[in-house]
Amino acid sequence: MKGMKGTATWFMGCLVLAAWLIAGYPGQAAAADPLKVGVVLPLTGKLAKFGEIEQKSFLIAAEEINAAGGINGRPVQLIIEDTTGKPDVGRSAIEKLISKDQVLVVGGGYSSSVTWASVAVAQQRKVPFLVNTGSADNITEQGWEYIFRLNPPVSEYPQALHSFLKEKAQVKTVAILHENTLFGQSGSKEFMEQCKDFGLEVLMKEGYEAGAVDFKPLLVKVKAQDPDLVYMISYVMDAALLMRQAKELNLNPRLFVGGGAGFTLPEFQANAGEASEFVFSATLWTPSVPYPGAREYYEKFLDKYGTPTEYHGAEAYAAMYVIADALKRAATFTPEGVRAALAETDMMTVFGPVKFISYGKMTQQNKLPTFLVQWSQGKLETVWPKEVATAEPVYPFPRWDKR
Amino acid sequence: MDVFLQTLVAGILKGGLYGLIGMGMSLIMGVMGIINLAHGQLMMVAMYITFVCFTYLGLDPYAALLITMPALFLLGALIQRYALNPLMEVESLLPENQVLMTVGIGMVLTEIARFIFSSDYKSVQTAYSSSSFFLGGISFSVALTAAFFIALLFTGFMFWFLLKTDLGRAIRATAQDKDAALLMGVDAKRITILTFGIGSALVAAAGTLLMPIYYLFPDIGSPFTRKAFVITILGGLGSTVGAIFGGLTLGLAEAFGATYIGMAFDDMIGLLIFILVLLFLPSGFKRLTKI
Repeated sequence: MKGMKGTATWFMGCLVLAAWLIAGYPGQAAAADPLKVGVVLPLTGKLAKFGEIEQKSFLIAAEEINAAGGINGRPVQLIIEDTTGKPDVGRSAIEKLISKDQVLVVGGGYSSSVTWASVAVAQQRKVPFLVNTGSADNITEQGWEYIFRLNPPVSEYPQALHSFLKEKAQVKTVAILHENTLFGQSGSKEFMEQCKDFGLEVLMKEGYEAGAVDFKPLLVKVKAQDPDLVYMISYVMDAALLMRQAKELNLNPRLFVGGGAGFTLPEFQANAGEASEFVFSATLWTPSVPYPGAREYYEKFLDKYGTPTEYHGAEAYAAMYVIADALKRAATFTPEGVRAALAETDMMTVFGPVKFISYGKMTQQNKLPTFLVQWSQGKLETVWPKEVATAEPVYPFPRWDKR
Repeated sequence: MDVFLQTLVAGILKGGLYGLIGMGMSLIMGVMGIINLAHGQLMMVAMYITFVCFTYLGLDPYAALLITMPALFLLGALIQRYALNPLMEVESLLPENQVLMTVGIGMVLTEIARFIFSSDYKSVQTAYSSSSFFLGGISFSVALTAAFFIALLFTGFMFWFLLKTDLGRAIRATAQDKDAALLMGVDAKRITILTFGIGSALVAAAGTLLMPIYYLFPDIGSPFTRKAFVITILGGLGSTVGAIFGGLTLGLAEAFGATYIGMAFDDMIGLLIFILVLLFLPSGFKRLTKI
């Protein structure tokens, strides 16, 4: 019995010591204590690639901020949790950040479905969450005062496309293909409604499960319908396969347009090869956007990691600066204080001006213009709007068999 | 009509490849009585080898078959010899432990791949990657058609191997009754090592053939493990011809489902067939083909 009591005492002692080490002894919150910022990203699983780009961008930005003196002398400490791209894991990741790490504010959130699941936790636990990639419309349509969004909702991705269609390309019929999670569903539904407002006839709208080997059954249906415009909302590798197989089937609409996400990444071009040529895409950011620091950020990323970054990275990089800006202005270092400061944000970032406003059904949503880009000889050229264009758009799409 | 024919072609071509993926798992399941849940991950390893051969040595994926298949045979044999067989010898352990072991092996392989190659998407762009030829308005992908015929070739070879050679007979004997095979002087342990090796080499072939038309990242294994499992059950355990039929069934079901129901229901259609086969044809197509 005695031995057991000894063990128990020893065990308790350890616990106390551990608690003391973890919490830091009270009354010693020195000025140099780091300010904790939580980030949720998919670092493993099939979306890991983008999680990594965002993680690296967050880290570059945090490094710069800390090198420049941090938040009034206190460094920012990033605590990055892996969501594995699954909503349930995303929920527990943010729970952990809030309960165990007691972060002041949460950033990140890659795919819409995971972001949707995690923002609900942030709202419930009253910790501000600055979403920088999750783009399903409903994320900022709940009137949730702790949720802010830096990137435009998916329904606004095709803004530039609309003006392009109106002024330049005359199309009448549309086929919409989308990946079948919240991102594609939300985007395709909104796009279909916008088509109706535009007087375009939607011949078909169909989802597919990401990661499919063979898209031909889907594309052969598109071919049978013969639409003028094929609009696709896809992640990158599906996007590459869709284009390659469209080429194999000799599917020739007047326009192939990607709704952001996969179609603007270097991997798309690398994998689709010549099938990527002349494909249009909506995008939120390119290194040639007219915002201060955009080109520098691109070069810095390329320098440091040897691979190019893209709009997801820019979103993350800008988000870190927005968070730092809010921390600097926060009256108190509490989630509530940071929330109040975030709501007052009005600044310029590499991703564009940031100001959280309410419009339509949205609240605390940043409003940004979007761009239309086109692949031309393996390079992504901005073709619309005219003011920022780096090349003339090639329209209509040259037939595969006539190249 | 064009839509119907194109769907049929797409389903059959993909089915051939599925058959090859399923065959390896089917063999392992038949002989060892365990599900190899690292099957897709072994395929992933073969795909990375193909990728490295292509990118750094300029080796065409079809030539890379000569490297990936022996390499994966070796890897499979080593896994069986040093990771799975020792578990069999411990009396207190259940056979399920071997299944758990394969899950672990799968995870380790995935993370090693992530460590070496990062999570980036890789692909092999050959001249024929996105080329196709047309027969009466129906498009045939060159790479997929080649993969289909090579898959048929392997099936024919395995069929002959299992039926006509001594080693093949020993494998079948071990699958049918291990104790009896032992009594007849078959070295069952050696047979299990060989079988795992052959199974891995077959899935390596599938991975290498898939490479020109698909892409690669560390987590690619598990969806294919799942597909292989469905195909194995459809075909009947241990049946090579059954595996080809299982693969074709799954390929056709997915293609027709995608065309006439909706591509969003891809997985659902495959698994629905899986359930129907379990209910109405519990031993799979093996019952119809006998081999």
